[in-house]
Amino acid sequence: MVGIIKEAAVGSFLSVKQIAIIVIPLMVFMEILKDMGVLNRIANLFSPVVKIYGMKKESGFPLVIGIIIGLSYGAGIIFRSSREDNLPKRDLYLITYFLVSAHAVFEDTAIFMAIGASGALLLVTRLLVAAFFTFLASRLIKDRDEIMSEKAG
Amino acid sequence: MQSSQRSLSLETIKRGLLAGIDVTWQLSRIIIPIYFIVTFLKHTPVLNLLSGLFSPLMRIFGLPGKAAIVLVLGNVVNLYAAIGAMVSLSLTLKEITILAIMLSFCHSLPVETALAKKIGLSAVNVIAVRATLAIVSGIAFNLIL
Repeated sequence: MVGIIKEAAVGSFLSVKQIAIIVIPLMVFMEILKDMGVLNRIANLFSPVVKIYGMKKESGFPLVIGIIIGLSYGAGIIFRSSREDNLPKRDLYLITYFLVSAHAVFEDTAIFMAIGASGALLLVTRLLVAAFFTFLASRLIKDRDEIMSEKAG
Repeated sequence: MQSSQRSLSLETIKRGLLAGIDVTWQLSRIIIPIYFIVTFLKHTPVLNLLSGLFSPLMRIFGLPGKAAIVLVLGNVVNLYAAIGAMVSLSLTLKEITILAIMLSFCHSLPVETALAKKIGLSAVNVIAVRATLAIVSGIAFNLIL
């Protein structure tokens, strides 16, 4: 029994330590990027890319922020920019499809890397798959809108 | 979009450290108890029983039966819970990477589905998409790695 407790205590401590060594510097680095305005610049840089989804340019900002920082923070930004920039419902759906599959990508990847997974493989796969799935969704949702507007017209 | 911007200072480092410590704290609050529970289970027949039950299903992903615990915890609780189980079970690097990609796409379903619903997508819709991505990527990683 004492052996089991010792095994669990040592093992869990080492795991937490291993993760802390990676996560704490990462969070400091992210704050530095935020305060230097790099995060906003990255988001603005990638904004036009969302045009391939047929989305408004303004929709790119909440999407990129959500991918980098996370879903709960991302949702806050999404609500704010959907009010300020008047984002269409279709854009909100597509942003959400992308974000439920890929959000807080650096934090999640760092934690999995700490326990031995290949970080580059995880990050690239996750982003590419989310981007491709959102592309498929963007075609489908567009079709439905066209059908609806044809009916309305 | 105009965003409030702060300048780089000692405050930046402090905020980053606090955020990092907070993540570590949230994580250890979950990882430590789960590590203890799984370690205890390892010394009882329960783990082998569960493992045997799930091994036909988990074989699709090239995972041992006990990895089902990781997927269940990750989806019902969150990633930290899954990681607690992953580090206490002895898994190979390939198994860890397969679980990591599956969990990346699909995790913390109660909390994150609620968020997606707020934006207007249905729960069934979101969960179906995420589970499909997890299953396909798990099978693919098993074949490729």
